[in-house]
Amino acid sequence: MQFFSLEGNLALQNVLSRMEVERQKIASTQKKGYFFIGGGIILAITGILMGLIGLAIVVGLIPIIYGGVVFYKIGDELQAYKEAYKRDVIGEALRFLDASLTIDPYRGILAQEFIYSQLFSTDPDRYKTEDLVCGKADKTGFYFAEVHAEYKTVTQTKNGTRTEWHDIFKGIIFVADFNKNFNGVTIVRPKDFGSAIGAWFSKNLFSFNNKDVIKLENIDFDKAFITYGTDQVESRYLLTPAMMERILKLNSNSKYSISLSFIESRMYIAFPLNRNYFEAPIFKSLLNPELLNEDITAIKFMYDIVKELDLDTRIWGKN
Amino acid sequence: MIIAIILIAIFLFGIFFYNSLVGKKNQVTNAFSAIDVMLKKRFDLIPNLVEVVKQYTNYESETLSKIVELRTKVAAGNISDAEKAQIDSQLSSSVKGLMVNVENYPDLKANTNFINLQTTWTESEEQIAAARRTYNAAVTDYNNSIMMFPGNLFAGALNFHPVPVLETAAEERRNISAKELFNN
Repeated sequence: MQFFSLEGNLALQNVLSRMEVERQKIASTQKKGYFFIGGGIILAITGILMGLIGLAIVVGLIPIIYGGVVFYKIGDELQAYKEAYKRDVIGEALRFLDASLTIDPYRGILAQEFIYSQLFSTDPDRYKTEDLVCGKADKTGFYFAEVHAEYKTVTQTKNGTRTEWHDIFKGIIFVADFNKNFNGVTIVRPKDFGSAIGAWFSKNLFSFNNKDVIKLENIDFDKAFITYGTDQVESRYLLTPAMMERILKLNSNSKYSISLSFIESRMYIAFPLNRNYFEAPIFKSLLNPELLNEDITAIKFMYDIVKELDLDTRIWGKN
Repeated sequence: MIIAIILIAIFLFGIFFYNSLVGKKNQVTNAFSAIDVMLKKRFDLIPNLVEVVKQYTNYESETLSKIVELRTKVAAGNISDAEKAQIDSQLSSSVKGLMVNVENYPDLKANTNFINLQTTWTESEEQIAAARRTYNAAVTDYNNSIMMFPGNLFAGALNFHPVPVLETAAEERRNISAKELFNN
């Protein structure tokens, strides 16, 4: 994988040097804030332990409030710094990869589209999305965004009800225009014990929905994924032996198992990730390329999917 | 009482087993008809393809007449499935040869109609491949049911017999030799 090099990009180096001054200012102000809040808490606890409760509250509260004010005052600057990082640093790195790539920190993949993609069987109760990156690799348009979808469970307890939130998905959803025409729906989900039993049940006894389990002839693919589709022939038309090999390779390059769906001439891929990408560092130097490289690697990985899955080969009557 | 329960269980199992075999056999028939539909779609492309190619080339008449002849055989309708598969395989290799020779005719190569036909042909090739794979998956599923225990005990008596999977024609299986193609 080709890494993005800071040395060759003077414009980006200048932006980073300018922003590094801003980052240092924010970092030192935040450290000051933490220092006062921490000090206030220690003073309050010491006072309470010594039995001087009234004095402890007064002496402890002043630095805590001051710390809070420090954080509040730097809030706008912090927000502007984070935005500038996405716009100027990530944006510039994207342009370096391909002039068509753009990032919009305030847009993402809508919850309706997430549900519509059928990548996951549970609908979200809480949904967050940000950092929409759009681009075009020759004829193939694509976009991806960070998504965090959760569902809630409510349990009855002695004191009332308890609401708990559980992840449906946290990571990046990648969407690309697929290079073949199709009408139905094909879904490829990672195989785990529960889904394997569900698949056996729907194949041998009764299917609860309009999708069949598609048994594919690639043994490794069949071990890694369960495929459902509305049309057996069409699903195999999309998942050719070559495409299955490419998906397996893509899956092996991803830390966690991916899910895919083919709907309305689009291909959706969900990459579970456990870190938030494209966020500006506060307590780490911007001039250290490691953090930026991780973001760039993620973007490059997404950008290369079109090539990896050969989506730009337009010989099947779809332009 | 216990005997009655066992008998009912065996009876219910028998119904389930029989129905599942019928379902699987129907899937095989259904999958085969999908191949048939795809083949028809491909055969229907031939007249257009021949027309377009004819306008630009004078040298491929032998290949074209062979393609037309094969298509006429299919259109006659009274051929078996095996014959149809064989004709398709012959057609496929003739058209493949034609597509390679198109390199010699820049005007034809740039013709929009021809480009459309070429992409539709490629599309149909992969659709037929998908239909064949579906058929083989259905046949394997059906064959497994009647050849594995306990299916093997009753399948014969119920008149269910194994169905052969579709194999690639020897002609298609052969690796394409670039030397051979360019020597023609």
